[in-house]
Formats: sequence, C-alpha cells, structure tokens
Amino acid sequence: MPLSVLLPLVGVGIIGIAVMLHVLGLSRAAQLPDEVAAKAAWLREFPDHTPTRVILSHDHHAALIETDDGPGVVWAMGADTTARALSGARIRRTAKGLRIDLPDFTAPHIHLRLDPDEAAHWPTYMKDSA
Amino acid sequence: MSDMITFPDVVNWAVPFFIAAILAELLWIVIKGRGGRYETRDALTSLLMGAGNVASGIVLGFVAYGFFMALWAITPLDLGTSFWTIALCFVLDDLRYYWVHRFGHRIRWVWASHVNHHSSQHYNLTTALRQTWTGTFTFMMVMRAPLVLMGFHPGMVLFVGGLNLIYQFWIHTEAISRLPRWFEAVMNTPSHHRVHHGRNPRYLDCNYAGVFIIWDKLFGTFVPELDSEKVDYGLVHNLGTFNPLRVAFHEWVGIYRDATQPGLGWRERLNYCVMPPGWSHDGSRSTSLDIKARYVSQYPDSAGSPGLPYTEIKGQNTRP
Ligand SMILES: [Zn+2]
Ligand SMILES: [Zn+2]
Repeated sequence: MPLSVLLPLVGVGIIGIAVMLHVLGLSRAAQLPDEVAAKAAWLREFPDHTPTRVILSHDHHAALIETDDGPGVVWAMGADTTARALSGARIRRTAKGLRIDLPDFTAPHIHLRLDPDEAAHWPTYMKDSA
Repeated sequence: MSDMITFPDVVNWAVPFFIAAILAELLWIVIKGRGGRYETRDALTSLLMGAGNVASGIVLGFVAYGFFMALWAITPLDLGTSFWTIALCFVLDDLRYYWVHRFGHRIRWVWASHVNHHSSQHYNLTTALRQTWTGTFTFMMVMRAPLVLMGFHPGMVLFVGGLNLIYQFWIHTEAISRLPRWFEAVMNTPSHHRVHHGRNPRYLDCNYAGVFIIWDKLFGTFVPELDSEKVDYGLVHNLGTFNPLRVAFHEWVGIYRDATQPGLGWRERLNYCVMPPGWSHDGSRSTSLDIKARYVSQYPDSAGSPGLPYTEIKGQNTRP
C-alpha cells in the first residue's frame, strides 16, 4: 500500500476512534467507591503488602495507603487503577492538588487531584518512614 | 528472485479492515452494554503503538529482510510458490511464532520488546494493535532462518507471518465467549488468548499460540479459560503512564538500570538480560514461577489445577 494512502488512513483512523470514544463518554476516570475498593486496588499490585490504613480522596479517584513497608498511593489510570510505593518520591503542591515524582520510568509523574485540605495533609503521611 | 510472484504487504492492506472491525466492536459494546470495555487514552495508546510498529517496520525492516536475502542467496533449496508450499510455510511459521512468543515471555531481552503488547489493562481489538517498536533488537529473526534455508522464499515467509498477525487480530475481544468445540480444540481463539493476556497467577506464561493452539497442547503450555476465574488483564506490575515512548522502551530501560548497577559480577549482569522477567540477583523480585508457587502456598486447594504447580516449593518448576 502506498504511503500516501496508508499515512492519512492511519492518521484519520486513530484520531477518529479517539474522538468517538471521548464523545461516547468513555474517558471517565476510574472511581474507588470506598476504602475496601481502594485496598483491593492496592493489593492487586502489591499482594504481599497489606494496608494498615487507607485514606480515600474526596473525589474517589485516588487513595493514600499506609503499610508496614512505607506509604503508597493508588490512583486511576483511565478506567482502571494502578499503585506505587512512595520510596524516593518528591512531592509538590500544585494548583489542583499534588504532583508526585518517582524514580520509576513507568510512573514518573503522578498527578493527584485533591481538595486544598487534602493536599495540605497528605504529604505528612507520604513521608517515607521505612 | 527471478520467477517469484510478489507477495503483498498484507498487514498494511488490512488497516482499513482493522479500523472497521474496531468500530464494529465498539458499536456492539455500546449497544449491547456488554462484551468488553473501551477507554479513550488506553485505546489511543494502543493505536499509536500499532502505528509506531508499522513505522519501525518501514525504518528497520531492511535489517531482517537483508538477513533473509543473504540466507536465500546461500541456500541451494527452492520449494517454489505452489499453494501447498505456501500452506506448509504458514504452518511451520506458526510453529516458529509459538517459540518466538514463548521466548518473548521467558527471556527478558525478548520480553523487553513483547511486554508492551501486554501493557494494557483492557482487552479489545485495539489491544491487538498494541505492538512492539523494538522487535528488530531482539534478534528473533534468526528463528525464521531455518524456513529460508529450507527453501521458502523470504517474501513468502514474511507474507505468511503477516497472515499470522492478521489472524491474531480478531481474537483480541471479549465480545466472543466460546466457539464450537472442534474450533477451540485446534485453533487459537478469543477464549485461549484472553488467558494469555491474564495477570492472574494461573494464567501467567501460557497459550503462546499464534494461529494453532495445538502447539501449546503439544509442548505443555496450554491453560483453558476457567469460568470460575475471570481474567485480570495487564501486567503483574501495571504501568502508571499512557506515554507511548515509555510503553515502548520501559523494559529496555529496566534492563539497563539492573545490568549496570554497581557491585555485580558479569554473570549477574548477563542474567538480568537473559533470565525470565522478574529474576533478580538477590531474589528480591518474583518470576512467574515464584508467583504461581506463592499462590499455591496461599491456596493449597488450587495445587495442580490448570496453570498451577503441584508443589509450593519455590523455583522447583524449571520449565523454560
Ligand atoms: Zn504474549
Ligand atoms: Zn495478544
């Protein structure tokens, strides 16, 4: 197939599908209905590090996790979630919440949307005690 | 290649069909309210990975093709281009695919390329297009060398490989549950391949088939989809980014960081490249066999059930 046909086809196809998905309302971020769901989402990534405390964000899109091995965070990745331990994290306040920079190529920047009071309190729990 | 018919670049010609099938699956899911899930950024990343795969083929394809043409120049054999030659080539190439794919899960150097195909937590037709950009660097083209040396023309070998890839497209769906028993027995199907994309301990490292599931049954790597255990799609450690560049290169970066850390011997550095994913010099991480063994020790009743070992002894199951 000539590139002059393939490139526009691929370009229009990708943009068209992405726009259609967004218009259909399929860009919604995952919700963690309660602490139990947040704990399950954490254990899905770290089955051996049982949470000792779970703090759910007010918008239910993220949760702060405390374990005996140190703090971690669960957050929405599209319609699903993932989780990371916070060892080596650098945490900064942003206009919308917190930004966590990790020395992790697969999760370098985690942007958490938090209320001002949450954004003020969460960093104190995020200090790596382990 | 005097009298050779030219083989079309089938994967590129299939692009309109890919787009149409994705729209059809999406429509089905939206109308029926079941049969799979789509999410914008996940699908966009998958599609961009597919586009990058085609681009990397255009840029780096000459490496493999030059290698095959060099082999073709030295082999005295020529099986011609009859229908049965092409059919035989297709079947043998599918066996080739099985082993490349199995190495892709059991050798970290090859996994670094293949991992991105498994990096989505979704399973729909866009997931099929989430293909590697770095396949050339795995050197797995050597697995096609025997076919060329046996007298199958390189163009034909690449042609049947393209057909293989196109076959695998439609099985990346949750819209089809099970197909007739005879078909499930011989062919790779949505059910078998859903299992392959699972991160559940029992579903790790199985069902490597491309077109014919018989290879997994022959070589002992077949695990059926259990109604009692829903497939959890994705990686053991799911990514925290949708950035296609990070998806494409993250495991290569991981290998580099592991193999160049201070204080290791050369053998440990090598092992970080060639041992199964999850291997570590100090045992601080888990391979799929460790994960299966730990699961069996937590749930002893599951011992010996599909995809799980009989014993819970760590590292005793030494299957490559
Ligand atoms: Zn695979
Ligand atoms: Zn697949």
